[in-house]
Amino acid sequence: MNALQEKARELLATKTVRVVIGYGPGSGGQARALFVREAAQARELIFDETCLQNLAVYLMKPDVRQLGKAALVARPATLRTLLQLAAENQLEENSLLALVPGADGVLSLSTFSALEAQVASQDNELSVAEKSELEKFAAMGLDARREFWQEQFSRCLKCYACRAACPLCYCTRCTVECNQPQWIPVPAHDLGNLEWNVMRAMHLAGRCTNCGDCSRACPVGIPLYLLNQKLILDVSANFNSRSGMTAKADHSLSTFKPDDPEDFIK
Amino acid sequence: MPDFQPKIVAFVCNWCTYAGADLTGTSRMKYSPQVSIIRFPCTGRIDFMLLLKAFASGADGIIVSGCHPNDCHYSSGNFHARRRWIIFRGLLDFLGIDVSRVQFSWVSAAEGAKWAQLVNETSERIRELGPFTGYQRLRGLGVG
Amino acid sequence: MARIGVFICHCGENISATVDVKKVAAAAARIPGVAHSVEYKYMCSDPGQQLVKNAIREKNLTGVVVAACSPRMHEPTFRRACAEAGLNPFLCEMANIREHCSWVHEKGDATTEKAVDIVRTLVAKVKKNKALQPIQVPVTKVALVIGGGIAGIQSSLDIANAGHRVILVEREPSIGGHMSQLSETFPTLDCSQCILTPRMVEVAQHPNITLYSYAELESLDGFIGNFKARIRKKARSLDETLCTGCGLCMQKCPTRRIPSEFDAGLGLRPAIYVPFPQAVPNKPVIDREHCTYYRTGKCRLCEKICPTQAIRFDQPDEIVEVDVGAIVLATGFDIKHSDFFPEYGYGRYPDVIDGLQFERLASASGPTLGEMRRPSDGKVPETVVFIACAGSRDPAKGIEYCSKICCMYTAKHAMLYRHKVHGGKPYVFYMDVRAGGKMYEEFVRRAMEEEGVQYVRGRVSRVFERNGKLVVKGADTLLGARPIEIEADLVVLATAAVAQPGAEELAQKLHVSYDTHQFFAEAHPKLRPVETNTAGIFLAGACQAPKDIPESVAQASGAAAKVAALFSQAELVRDPLIAVVDRQAPPVYSSCVGCFLCQSACPYQAIEKEEIRGRDGQLIKTVAKVNPGLCQGCGTCVAFCRTKSIDIQGFSHEQVHAEVLALLNRGERDA
Repeated sequence: MNALQEKARELLATKTVRVVIGYGPGSGGQARALFVREAAQARELIFDETCLQNLAVYLMKPDVRQLGKAALVARPATLRTLLQLAAENQLEENSLLALVPGADGVLSLSTFSALEAQVASQDNELSVAEKSELEKFAAMGLDARREFWQEQFSRCLKCYACRAACPLCYCTRCTVECNQPQWIPVPAHDLGNLEWNVMRAMHLAGRCTNCGDCSRACPVGIPLYLLNQKLILDVSANFNSRSGMTAKADHSLSTFKPDDPEDFIK
Repeated sequence: MPDFQPKIVAFVCNWCTYAGADLTGTSRMKYSPQVSIIRFPCTGRIDFMLLLKAFASGADGIIVSGCHPNDCHYSSGNFHARRRWIIFRGLLDFLGIDVSRVQFSWVSAAEGAKWAQLVNETSERIRELGPFTGYQRLRGLGVG
Repeated sequence: MARIGVFICHCGENISATVDVKKVAAAAARIPGVAHSVEYKYMCSDPGQQLVKNAIREKNLTGVVVAACSPRMHEPTFRRACAEAGLNPFLCEMANIREHCSWVHEKGDATTEKAVDIVRTLVAKVKKNKALQPIQVPVTKVALVIGGGIAGIQSSLDIANAGHRVILVEREPSIGGHMSQLSETFPTLDCSQCILTPRMVEVAQHPNITLYSYAELESLDGFIGNFKARIRKKARSLDETLCTGCGLCMQKCPTRRIPSEFDAGLGLRPAIYVPFPQAVPNKPVIDREHCTYYRTGKCRLCEKICPTQAIRFDQPDEIVEVDVGAIVLATGFDIKHSDFFPEYGYGRYPDVIDGLQFERLASASGPTLGEMRRPSDGKVPETVVFIACAGSRDPAKGIEYCSKICCMYTAKHAMLYRHKVHGGKPYVFYMDVRAGGKMYEEFVRRAMEEEGVQYVRGRVSRVFERNGKLVVKGADTLLGARPIEIEADLVVLATAAVAQPGAEELAQKLHVSYDTHQFFAEAHPKLRPVETNTAGIFLAGACQAPKDIPESVAQASGAAAKVAALFSQAELVRDPLIAVVDRQAPPVYSSCVGCFLCQSACPYQAIEKEEIRGRDGQLIKTVAKVNPGLCQGCGTCVAFCRTKSIDIQGFSHEQVHAEVLALLNRGERDA
């Protein structure tokens, strides 16, 4: 048994938690989410480079919440998500254990200050590769960008898999479901697809923690992460702010500074 | 397209720009009739979805205008709006949508002349840009 | 099914001269849902309003659009008319086809089409309007008056005499303002202090008035009826409860050569001082910038001499928090000083002075005890030149407006000079003489015809010194622009009246509008001249625009009457144009997910957390709730809410969405 499995077993055996949400082997060489509720099952947990999913998404599901106190295997983006959820009043302090596997064993974090300290110690910036991809995009020119996204969005099925995979899309009623007025047309046509994706990106601005699950969930392979990463950069450049760093409400779009940039305003 | 008359929607706050546009009227200054105003209590109220709806409905250009910083009737609605527009513009541009079709501005209740100038300059720019066919085609509006 | 009535106003010819109102009415009649569409010459007139009322009753209308002037002008008028006819007033909207259409476009099809667009937009909106009930909020019956000049004094006394508590805040150590500096007042030439000081004493003694002098507004929160003001009481450096105002400290203070603000720099005062002998309150302050003790750490003479041991060198500023229901802004004006007039040598020649300095020279309580002696050498000036419009009405100087008071005070100055120096020769350079007001023209005539004041119509180009005289070079435009040179001993500039320094900052604290010259803006130039656009904040005196004393006093009483009217009810009725959070039947309760990002966006802390609990008391969810007393209806929260759970009444999602679609989709039917 490795340290993570041992930790999970102990937490379940001592009834410290009722469920450990982690990763297990899936099909096609991919990991899948594993809900471990019995101590004996803990040995099925894995943690390697195939374990990409942001498991925080399950915390927002009512049926998972009903299972009782949970421990959650957390990657860096997951930890940011937990703090962001806390800042949005969706997560109570000490209501779960975040398990962070590392070289020296498994960290088990439950207070917001412990989560904040862990997040502060990890690298939260976009990677060099991510930044250079965005830069390439910016250099493409307006028309090329429009053509690129039109082609991408023309394949959107409005299946909302991106939304379902996103731990911050926990709203019980999404704007797309409002019909008085109908903000976004229901059928999957070019206009509605554009509006849906603009809306989703705007609603994640200053909130998205860059886990990448929306893109991984998209059945037609639209690189949605680009939209989120673009806005993460813009929020950081303009407001010097980063989501998921603190459990305190500090949303960059519902706060302001009197001297925010306004060179585009006449 | 010399005869092209652009359709421009102006989203303005009640306290500064709407009043400023009233002053343009009381001062009998002239501006282009292609711009129509929709009144909001505050720029903070202006949902970015409305800008999308305006383009989807055939607007060739949009003006969004409210109180100058520190002058907001509600103290900070315009500051929140400003942050929203910074992000929104960045996103539109990233998606290849020409943000020069959206003009943001601060026009106070005393700036009737500025309103007229803003409207005229914006209409002129949109006229030069031509109809927003790129967007209107998305819905098959049959323009262009 | 909607049954909308559309009422198109000609506004005499203001609309119908450029908009084809008949076409608009015909086009409106074709809009789906419009049951009635008429045009009329004056919709706001009695018969016009009757037209609306009758149609509501006869056609059983479910909504009304009045296409006329700005809603900022007549929305209340027509909403009232609708209410009188039994239609909920919030089912009435104004389509602004005057300020936003007929007045700003040329006559033509495009203008008429735009008017139709505007009408169609508002019809679409009103179809989505909902009947709303007004909100009642309690009123704190205490007024805050900011500024203790004659306007603030008058407002305070009027409100206090109406039986309400007043908190009067004055920036300077004493109330009195500019009026206390004046010698005599036009057009009666009665002594300014003689009529003012009894009022000042009345303020001090009034049981309903709390005076905070040497104090400034720190911040303001809240809204009409329920403001919270924080007032900074600057440290006087003495215990006011102990100080008897005996004045010993001022006599003994060794630092005595500080230019007196009250004497406009012509007199001197000590570091511990009251601005003038009749000051209210008659308690000194220590000017920490000049006081020897604060500068060097040594002296403390006043502390030693004070018979009541009232001096407190280490006294800090104090912040006082008060709840008030209404505010009167009466912060007054300032005049242009110093280097604003290099061409007139002001600031270079001691004998080129401004109007306030002349007042101090002419005042019996001034530095010369009322003797007309010029600042440089104390000589009695034999020739005095008064220059009107110094800065005012001068776009080149950035001041296009008329300062209004200068024509009258210049005539007064010239007369006062003649009364004090019988053989003296006064000249007045002027552009026009503006003497509108009771007995004003007569007063100026008297100066010209009986008092021997020489009026020269023309601008002064330059003032320079030659052989100990001030040479005033100008032109007499009534004599064919003949150049004219006068050798004067004293030159008095009637400098422009401008806003108080800090007016802009104060306006921002209070969220009231101000004009390009930083004078506070009234809600309507004609019909609401004492109100600001911020409900519950009123204007009195020259902080709104330059004004003389009777005008300031009249407006101050007007503001006081507004405050008293507000305080006459136990509860204030407000328009219900506020945000509300979605509530539904169980098991949903509300579409709000309780992220509370709206909370930090709300400028009024109006969003609260509401815990929804089941019958067993178990928490089901925590959702947002808007406090209707605090919400001011900006709608910033509305635009934030991802679930569209917050909406704002009067500017709802459905309303504005319908407007956008209707404005852009002309359709064939009303083309």
